[in-house]
Amino acid sequence: MKLRYSPTSPYVRKVAVAALETGLDGRIERIETDVWNPGTDIAEDNPLGKVPALTTDEGMVLCDSPTICDYLDSLHDGARLIPAEGPARWQALNLHALASGVMDAAVARVVEVRARPEDKRFEGWLERQKLKIARALDALDKQAAAGALDGPVNLGTITVGCALGYLDLRFAEDAWREGRPALEAWYQAFSQRPSMQATVPPG
Amino acid sequence: MKLRHSTTSPYVRKVSVTALELGLDGRIERVPTNTMDPKSDHAADNPLGKVPALITDEGERLYDSPVICEYLDSLADGPGLFPPAGAERWRALRRQALADGILDAAILRMLETRRRPEALRWDGWVRLQSGKIAKALDQLEREAGTLDSSLTIGEIAAGCALGYLDFRFAEDDWRATRPRLAAWYEGFAARPSMQQTVPREPA
Repeated sequence: MKLRYSPTSPYVRKVAVAALETGLDGRIERIETDVWNPGTDIAEDNPLGKVPALTTDEGMVLCDSPTICDYLDSLHDGARLIPAEGPARWQALNLHALASGVMDAAVARVVEVRARPEDKRFEGWLERQKLKIARALDALDKQAAAGALDGPVNLGTITVGCALGYLDLRFAEDAWREGRPALEAWYQAFSQRPSMQATVPPG
Repeated sequence: MKLRHSTTSPYVRKVSVTALELGLDGRIERVPTNTMDPKSDHAADNPLGKVPALITDEGERLYDSPVICEYLDSLADGPGLFPPAGAERWRALRRQALADGILDAAILRMLETRRRPEALRWDGWVRLQSGKIAKALDQLEREAGTLDSSLTIGEIAAGCALGYLDFRFAEDDWRATRPRLAAWYEGFAARPSMQQTVPREPA
């Protein structure tokens, strides 16, 4: 399998952590890709111009992180990262959606500042994204306090971990830990997992 | 079940079409929601402030649209819209991701040209999103031969994406260079589930 990646993408990190947790990492060849380089050929694999994109051994290209993780989860015999059915499945997928929303809003903030001319930036947009992040983090803190993030690692908790790691990378000044002690304690432990340690984004 | 609903959201439409195709529509109560209204209470159901959000009969809150659609699929008897693991599943999920990517880009373009203060609008952003949409549509055109062979979440998402382009960007004429996709959509859009969910501005 071949994975188009960027070292700082939180969506790529989610895939990389999933691959490590399922013992599939050794089967994945990595191709570093800068989607913001005007000469990039990423669209040949992903018309939407995003990483991650995974080309399977059969030549099929999967190009969003939940589908890639769903696919990887079908290739191993260990504990599933996406529980097969029942409340555990919906809980994991919902947690994944909530944490992906944090990533989406955080990436939108980065793009607003990096990709646009300075005089075309819109403070209202940045504020809207910050509010989404704050509300989602509050919801995650409640879930952490209720123990909903404990138990076997799954796609949901991996995504929460990668989203928080991305906030530390890009928005350390926001101090997301303040007022969210349960989430902070959970992340303190989760970020020690070898899969998380092996995928820390370069600062 | 209760569904946080707007008549213009293409992601909500995916859920509605899914519910109709699965025969579950009668079990869903709709709660009209305007996410742009500062007084709206919808963040109580989805901290990310988006529709759709589904409140299950057990009181669980589910989002986003892929999770809600797969949950509905698990409630229905008979062959579902999410094939089990295997080539059919990856094709369906891949297609859903491609169509959702078209929608994400179309929404960003709509926000840029309708919601952002005029002085802060930037053509470069519109071009970037338009380019993603065009490339993803070209991909769907290449795949048009397999769109007819089954009804999965992939085709539903593709239908809703094309319907949204007609709703918001009719002047783009996406059909002009994509005859096979246009022919497929003409047939698909005639399904009762699509006819009953045509997007419209709220009264």
